[in-house]
Amino acid sequence: MLSFLLRRLLVLIPTYIGITLTAFIFIHIIPGDPILVMAGERGLPEEKYQELMQAFGFDQPLWKQYVDYVVQLVQGDFGKSFVTGRPVLDEFFELFPATVELSFFALFFAIIIGIPCGIIAAVKRGSVFDHSLMTISLTGFSMPIFWWALLLIIFFSGYLGWTPVSGRISVLYFFDTPTGFMLIDSWLSDEEGAFSSALSHLILPAIALGTIPMATFARQSRSAMLETLGEDYIKTARAKGLSSFRVVVVHGFRNALIPIVTVIGLSVGTLLGGAILTESIFSWPGIGKWMVDSIFRRDYAVVQGGLILIATMVIIVNLSVDILYGIIDPRIRKKGH
Amino acid sequence: MSVEINTTTATNQSAFVAVLASFWFEFKQNKGALYGLIFIAILAFVAIFADFIAPYSPIEQYRDVLKMPPVWVDGGSWQYVFGTDALGRDQLSRMIYGSRYSFYIGFIVIFFCLTVGVTLGLIAAFSKGLVDNIIMRLMDIILAFPSLLLALALVAIFGPSLENAMIAIAIVFIPHFVRLTRAQALSELGKDYVSSSKTMGASTFRLMFINVLPNCMAPIIVQATMSFSSAILDAAALGFLGMGAQPPTPEWGTMLADSRQYIQSDPWLMAIPGLAILFTVLSINLIGDGLRDALDPKMKKSKA
Repeated sequence: MLSFLLRRLLVLIPTYIGITLTAFIFIHIIPGDPILVMAGERGLPEEKYQELMQAFGFDQPLWKQYVDYVVQLVQGDFGKSFVTGRPVLDEFFELFPATVELSFFALFFAIIIGIPCGIIAAVKRGSVFDHSLMTISLTGFSMPIFWWALLLIIFFSGYLGWTPVSGRISVLYFFDTPTGFMLIDSWLSDEEGAFSSALSHLILPAIALGTIPMATFARQSRSAMLETLGEDYIKTARAKGLSSFRVVVVHGFRNALIPIVTVIGLSVGTLLGGAILTESIFSWPGIGKWMVDSIFRRDYAVVQGGLILIATMVIIVNLSVDILYGIIDPRIRKKGH
Repeated sequence: MSVEINTTTATNQSAFVAVLASFWFEFKQNKGALYGLIFIAILAFVAIFADFIAPYSPIEQYRDVLKMPPVWVDGGSWQYVFGTDALGRDQLSRMIYGSRYSFYIGFIVIFFCLTVGVTLGLIAAFSKGLVDNIIMRLMDIILAFPSLLLALALVAIFGPSLENAMIAIAIVFIPHFVRLTRAQALSELGKDYVSSSKTMGASTFRLMFINVLPNCMAPIIVQATMSFSSAILDAAALGFLGMGAQPPTPEWGTMLADSRQYIQSDPWLMAIPGLAILFTVLSINLIGDGLRDALDPKMKKSKA
């Protein structure tokens, strides 16, 4: 297990250097001088320009700038926002809980609906339920997510008036946010109705974001279950006279788990990387919206630092999924030996 | 001699026809795939003959009929079947011309993915060692970033336009093609026909593209079909964020973005382009599913 882990970590080193290099190059190939971009249309006097060049180290040779940059990164300095002047890392950790909260509920929604549907479709293969489920899931899979989000808003917020359109909580509530997770914080606060307000803000974005993963999980669970249900040990289990629920769930599902965990793991990485469309449409203050806003504001320091932070997180999630496999299925661990 | 060659080409041809026929037989078993193909065929016809089909110009503004609803809604008129947008442009004509952009985006992105991605994948599989490692680590780097975010950042560098959006999308899709091609090629490399070609003195280039590649094509074709639809979705998403096609281009995602401020008052403005994107992407995915069933013998076995 340890050598498996070490091998995985070793491969990451060149990848990680590449990621820092990509983010470093990014700020140097954007058209226009970053300092002039930062100054905006007002422009700035020559001395001030030189001063800023020095402050950001843009007057140094490129390789030196890169080395300095990596040294800064290692010390946990991901740069400062051009716009707010605050450290990128601080902004990231402030917004990240919102993304985690949204991703968690989107994933929860996708799992509790997608996986059971996929299993039932596999068991009742060829039935009307199977066919309609596969059609619906392929439709969900093909859905332009921004359009779907707008439809949800028109129907649930506009027509029915059930849910608010944007943000994480109504502006009427003020309370401390010690955890950053709005549901927990509103629960802890004594404000009446704060929790239900937070929940109602969360529902639509979670559904919008969860739709594609749900469709993927349903398809994946169905095909994984079809494969395992054809195996001999399932026939044995049935022959033993076990209840069909027990056969399907205990004997079938457990063995179909690996491909299902794979797609869930991949989705976690994608979701935490920031749902840029969903967060933008619902004005959800997470890292996806943060990145889009920074790109539009030409706050390239944030884009640069954010890209590295997000890539780091995606890598950590994917690595954890790999390790998780090694635990679930010893065959994977041994393959590399 | 010449007769001999002719007979071999003739048998090759009839073998090819037989393969196509059996493929078509498998493919049309899948009703969904067939419907998808019909929809895409109609859309292709509309795209090609847009100049003759569209009743109006897609960018001409009829200032006296702003935001007219479609014909089936009260206040609609047969003059503008799908109604007009906020600037008085005919929605139907914009939709018809917009279909061209979907094909344009899909084909260009797939062209880049196939040429660059497949070649890199073959090179990685054949070279092994250092070159292989360099290529695959580069792909890992691209894959470490969320694809739409990376595409958005790339467009920010290149400048917002439909062409740059397509290049950015191709770049984020290429790693999937490299990985797939490499894996397929590696599984072929150990086979006897490759070693016999090698013994007969075939060049690496010949081995790559003439011997190995055709045997790797099935999953690559399926991947290309699925990427075609993802490219349309991502381009529409970039257009929606204002980083894709620029107004007045009648690209469907850009049309959705334009209609966003009217979603409460005039919902059909966003309903029509959204439905068009959904049906196009769904049809292509259905075709992709059909192709997978028809091309992949393993799937066939598990179905039986």
